[in-house]
Amino acid sequence: MRERHPRSVNFEIPRYILFMTYFSNIKTAVSTVFEGMTITFSHLLREPMTIQYPDRTPLPVKDTLPPRYRGFLCVRPEICTACTLCQKTCPIDCIVIEHSKDEELKQRVMTRFDIDMAKCMFCGLCTEQCSTGAIYFTNEFEASTSNIKDLVFKFIKQGEKVIPYKIPRKKKPAAAAAETQAAAKEKKE
Amino acid sequence: MTESNQPEKVFKTEEMVLNMGPQHPSTHGVLRFELTTDGEVMTKAVPDIGYLHRGIEKLAETVGYVGFMPYTDRIDYVSAMTANQGYAMAVEKLAGIEVTRRAELLRCTASELNRISSHLVGVGSFGLDMGASTPFVHALRERETINDLLESLCGARLTYNYVRIGGVSHDLPTGFIDKAMVFLNHFEPIVGELNRLLSDNKIFIERLANIGVISKEDAINYGLVGPNLRGSGVKFDVRRDEPYSVYPELDFNIPVGLGKAGTLGDCFDRYYVRVEEMRESAKIVRQCLLKLKDLPEGDIMGKVPRKIKPPKGEVLVKVESSRGEMAYWIVSDGSDNPLRLHCRTGSFTSMGIIEKLSRGMMIADLVALIGSFDIVAPEVDR
Repeated sequence: MRERHPRSVNFEIPRYILFMTYFSNIKTAVSTVFEGMTITFSHLLREPMTIQYPDRTPLPVKDTLPPRYRGFLCVRPEICTACTLCQKTCPIDCIVIEHSKDEELKQRVMTRFDIDMAKCMFCGLCTEQCSTGAIYFTNEFEASTSNIKDLVFKFIKQGEKVIPYKIPRKKKPAAAAAETQAAAKEKKE
Repeated sequence: MTESNQPEKVFKTEEMVLNMGPQHPSTHGVLRFELTTDGEVMTKAVPDIGYLHRGIEKLAETVGYVGFMPYTDRIDYVSAMTANQGYAMAVEKLAGIEVTRRAELLRCTASELNRISSHLVGVGSFGLDMGASTPFVHALRERETINDLLESLCGARLTYNYVRIGGVSHDLPTGFIDKAMVFLNHFEPIVGELNRLLSDNKIFIERLANIGVISKEDAINYGLVGPNLRGSGVKFDVRRDEPYSVYPELDFNIPVGLGKAGTLGDCFDRYYVRVEEMRESAKIVRQCLLKLKDLPEGDIMGKVPRKIKPPKGEVLVKVESSRGEMAYWIVSDGSDNPLRLHCRTGSFTSMGIIEKLSRGMMIADLVALIGSFDIVAPEVDR
């Protein structure tokens, strides 16, 4: 014998009470539904909350984002020191930096700085490590493409050699970093 | 011939095994239930988990202590901030790192805001499961403001990665306190509006009353946590009973189920505990913001070594996530990476009791039961 379902009607209650509760239940149901409906209809008269996303917003969406927004990563190779801290911190290894000693220029040069944005999870650990602010987040977030290879951002073109930036020795490194970061922020804004 | 006239011989009946999920709208993600049904009534419903297993615990052994922080977002994406906080607290306890008071207040503010947004999703989508689609839209509208606030605070809307080992990543942006206060003043009446829209609705109450009743003893024995436990009338909250962060100095109540609709510990009680908790979280955020306003500017990061190498040992840290008690267990062998990391989450523990409750339950009521547990599928599997 199966257990009786908890909601099954208990027939020991007199019929007329069941009959009365039946109608009072309908009454409360209708009144509470009506109360909910008044809220719904009050919103009909209020200002709409929705926006028409891509083309009918008052401002482009990327301009309305807060400054800390974590969009696509961007790199300024000219102030990159090639310390590869960002590459080491990245938990999913989406940053690839290649640097080697160049025989002609007699110094270390960067030959590759790739970020695979398809892999990136926008955690922001790399930008925190950077001492010069060379790697930073932009407000860009729209890059749908039919080819996933387009999402590998190459900040140093193939064959190009970039001499890593050297933080001037005169100032304390922390102060210089703060200055360059401030400059980066200014440029960004 | 006489035998074939008997109804048992004419209509051969047997139990039917039915799959619910993995792609079912009411399971909130990829989660499968194997139902053994007799008509509309189930004799058994067995949750089959593992469809969303991503090996996050194993990943911790390779990415290191700092690198694992973004992964904690992905354990529970609806309330990532509390998952962040729990992991950071575990590593801090293991490595003996002190956190500044400002950072603790910032963490508390962010995680309570996140708790509100998580409960809004839980409450709204529960209404959606039960066939009320309007409250879901209203709940998400409120969540949008919280998302905007947290976006201005840490730069992301869902996977925050805000908490760092030893502190937080960013201080408050300008105007955050005022904006958050405006939101809280607006939000507290909204809970009442949500109640009028959904919780007071007779049809909604009747749908949930006396469904999936969990007694106090069962709730404790099956290891339910958080709002699911409190819905059964057990007054246990990690924030109050094993306090961490700045919670001891804050004033808030712990809402428990009262059996308003019918029996104590039914689906409605679990739902209503979440609604009440939103009010309490709003209270906590308000207190935290006032404390932050009085606090002078200061460091948001404690003294953290350049390379985090905790000494040998193991640690177990519990936090109150939106889905209940979330525990991190980390074993360190003294190297850069944890030897073993385990996290125990609220949605996973609530899976155990479903088989027991489903006996004699109707299939449509299983949807109510799963919804009342507020399950997030990635949290079940990790």
